[in-house]
Amino acid sequence: MLTVDELERYDRQIMLREIGEAGQEKLKRASVFIAGIGGLGSPAAIYLTVAGIGRIRLVDHDRVDRSNLNRQVLHWDNDIGRSKVKSATEKLKRLNPEVEIEAIEQTITEANLAELLTGFDLIVDAMDNLPTRYLLNKAALDNNIPFFHGAIYGFEGRAMTIIPHKTACLRCVYRGVIPEEKFPVIGVTPAVIGCIQATEVIKYIVGIGELLTNKLLNYDALNMEFTEFNVKKDPHCEHCSHMKTTG
Amino acid sequence: MSITVNIHQALRHLINNQATAEVSGTTVGECLADLVRQFPCIETKLFNKKGKLLHYVDIYVNLESSYPEELAKPVMDGDKLSITLMIAGG
Ligand SMILES: [Zn+2]
Repeated sequence: MLTVDELERYDRQIMLREIGEAGQEKLKRASVFIAGIGGLGSPAAIYLTVAGIGRIRLVDHDRVDRSNLNRQVLHWDNDIGRSKVKSATEKLKRLNPEVEIEAIEQTITEANLAELLTGFDLIVDAMDNLPTRYLLNKAALDNNIPFFHGAIYGFEGRAMTIIPHKTACLRCVYRGVIPEEKFPVIGVTPAVIGCIQATEVIKYIVGIGELLTNKLLNYDALNMEFTEFNVKKDPHCEHCSHMKTTG
Repeated sequence: MSITVNIHQALRHLINNQATAEVSGTTVGECLADLVRQFPCIETKLFNKKGKLLHYVDIYVNLESSYPEELAKPVMDGDKLSITLMIAGG
């Protein structure tokens, strides 16, 4: 049940025929795991918080650096040196005290991931490196948790939604690793992609619209072009080929 | 034969800052060879020393992944190729 305050807070989105009170209640019951609270994680977390997701867990081991501030909008100048999850949690709680925000200052590893994910319905991939993205992809598949991928580089971004057992996974699309490097980026690019991830999460929870499944969305900010590449489940995929496909 | 190749942003400086190039060929491999003929600097960004496509380069034909045929995948006049690079920043 939504409270009087919640009905008022979410009035404009409850007005949407696609959401309504029933959709808002689904958002309230949902729990979202956000891996990484940097350039993608900040906008994704902000918009999921204001949309009224019931419970959000933020996981990041990093501390705020001055060079993060051009894009990681949950972290401000006076947060330099502080834990990113603490800095983010503080602001998100002030944005919407109705949402339960949990901060976990840890590095995501193969050893701790299953435990970190326990009790969470969805995963937002807001990482900055492929090895951890692959760990998340594998764990999402193994635990049957929908996985919302986003990545950026410079003026370019990508997004893809993965529903275990049903759609192509991240490993079907990306087969190797790329060296970890300092990547160029301007804040508006992850802002767009993080919001696309949050939009996909909201649509999935409420059960509306068309998801970015079996599609890799490519955003070219310089030419202001969105392209959807069609991707298929790879029958030899290292992560998902052994899984039974349904639906 | 004319095939349009859309080039990933990070490689555009190698083709005179254009977003696309016109190439000819009957397979993805022939089209990329023609691209390299026109813009030799792009070769090492697409292929390893043995001439194999680098694992972080993905080629799409009319928005469909060319994997696993990749270079052997046939193409026709009017097809659109896209050269994309894996990205992982956040
Ligand atoms: Zn797969």
